[in-house]
Amino acid sequence: MEIVALIAVAVFLFTYALIIDERIHRAVAAMLGAAIVVFLGVVSWEGLLQHIDFGTIFLLMGMMIIVNTARGSGLFEYIAIRTTKLAKGSPIRVLILFALVTAVVSAFLDNVTTVLLLTPMLLYVSKVMKLNPVPFLVTEIFASNIGGAATLIGDPPNIMIASSAGLTFNEFLIHLGPIMVVNMVILIGLMYLIYGRSMKVDPGEREEMVRTLNSLDERAAITDRALFRKSVIVIALVVLLFFIHDRIGEILHTFLPFVDPAMGLQPAEVALIGAAILLVWSRQPPEEIFEKIEWPALFFFGGLFVIVGALVETGVIASIASVMVENVGSTGEAMFIVTWFAAIASAIVDNIPLTAAMIPLIHDLGATMDVYPLWWALALGACLGGNGTIIGASANVVVIGIAEREGISITFIDFLKIGMLVLFVTVAVGLGMLWMTFVV
Amino acid sequence: MGYSSSLIQRKFKDIVGRRYESVLKEYSEFLLTEEEMLIPEVRSILIPLDLFVHDISDEAIDVLSTYNATISLAYITDARVIELLEQALDHASTEEFRAKKEEYGRELLERTAAKLKGHGITTQTRMFVGHKGDDVVRMAKNYDLVALCRRYADGESTDVSISPTVLRICQRVATPALIY
Repeated sequence: MEIVALIAVAVFLFTYALIIDERIHRAVAAMLGAAIVVFLGVVSWEGLLQHIDFGTIFLLMGMMIIVNTARGSGLFEYIAIRTTKLAKGSPIRVLILFALVTAVVSAFLDNVTTVLLLTPMLLYVSKVMKLNPVPFLVTEIFASNIGGAATLIGDPPNIMIASSAGLTFNEFLIHLGPIMVVNMVILIGLMYLIYGRSMKVDPGEREEMVRTLNSLDERAAITDRALFRKSVIVIALVVLLFFIHDRIGEILHTFLPFVDPAMGLQPAEVALIGAAILLVWSRQPPEEIFEKIEWPALFFFGGLFVIVGALVETGVIASIASVMVENVGSTGEAMFIVTWFAAIASAIVDNIPLTAAMIPLIHDLGATMDVYPLWWALALGACLGGNGTIIGASANVVVIGIAEREGISITFIDFLKIGMLVLFVTVAVGLGMLWMTFVV
Repeated sequence: MGYSSSLIQRKFKDIVGRRYESVLKEYSEFLLTEEEMLIPEVRSILIPLDLFVHDISDEAIDVLSTYNATISLAYITDARVIELLEQALDHASTEEFRAKKEEYGRELLERTAAKLKGHGITTQTRMFVGHKGDDVVRMAKNYDLVALCRRYADGESTDVSISPTVLRICQRVATPALIY
């Protein structure tokens, strides 16, 4: 192996170690790694611009603007209170409804924001019900990761895969949507079997508990009614645009003949258009909204793309791909390996750098086999693998971090036992369904 | 703190930053705290009265009657005013002033007690010369609730703001306070 290839591998592994340990902020670690490969000339300036996936970065940026603007209206608190009231004091209904709401919101908005806004409400509900909050919290984590896996915009690995492979929102919905619906049913069943018996409310206290929960006023959560309305409309419009982003020209051409019917919008363009509309319409101070963009996350992605770019430029990825091609006989076999490797690796290490490294590998495999099914295998493994451990996905870290701050302990081993069960069951079901679609 | 726990907190801080604090602040606007969730048992209520409290509103009585508690009405004449009068006027004039104030106080106590009795509330009355702020804070320790008129110890101003003495009492008492 050439010296530059060794440097690229060493920087990748060193950065990965820093990201896992997180003693240095992961964005700083990624920038440091990128700085090293650029400084040593492993990646040129032209190469740097080529390797940074601006589709991913702009899509994340656009969605962050939309979510942070909408947040100011109290939209998410409103959803949380409505969900609580719908449960009518039944712990099982709280578990199911919050799991469904978390999954649906995570499918369209980022998982971290979803769990960050729903977890305080879940903790409050469990406190009122005098129940152990752990079953609700772990279900929320799994639901967030499963829901996020269902759409192109639900989870960063999906955004990265879609941007690199040119996959559409509807393709994600068709191939991963049904898998995640089935997995949600399985998850709720599993959680019921594991925790159902311990989720009983004292009948004598039930009436008072329901009264307390019903006294929550969802309208009081809405801090800005006009912004609330505008946020709901723009989010609905953005979701609609995602559904039709690849054939927007065809639709517009019927009303506006000068529009090229072959025109399509990239998902990142949809998100930025939505962000622009909401900023103009809501008249929110842009400085405040732009301040809330999670710049560290964007720089983290930027740095990673450069580090992985170094692996591509030095031929490391191509070498791994050729080894894989020599040892893998068919697309089905490759699907199996990619899914399980991505799932198990994502449970242990951050799935974003993993996906960033796997994407060029799958592109390279494209020279010898049909890689279309492999994109779904990677998305499935990288997203659902996060359920395996407490550090497997950002949603896990956020929920467990909040729980610890509120004095609720969920140990690594306790989570691992349930997380690994959920990981293996949901990935196996997902792989089975993909197998039926692409192999059988 | 074990490695797993400190790792989670480091990752949490890096992923969430200060957003969790702002989310908690937003939720605290409309979610009850653990203390607020407990329904306090109120068996005794203190209502201080003075020259500037002319009546107890019907809304306040509606709320107070729900507790099924004994209400102590305390009419307080400001000791500093009496002191100033003693310095400025002769003894007879001061006594005359004090007698007039006491008579007003007795009437107010009787009228208020009768109104509360009409709503089925048991009352006790007392009248003394003292400090309108300090004495209420001291007495409040023996009661479950203090109900304060926003005009208490205020003067005859017509604006709707809460009297500074009432605000100071609320800041100092550990007992829950109700302002009417």
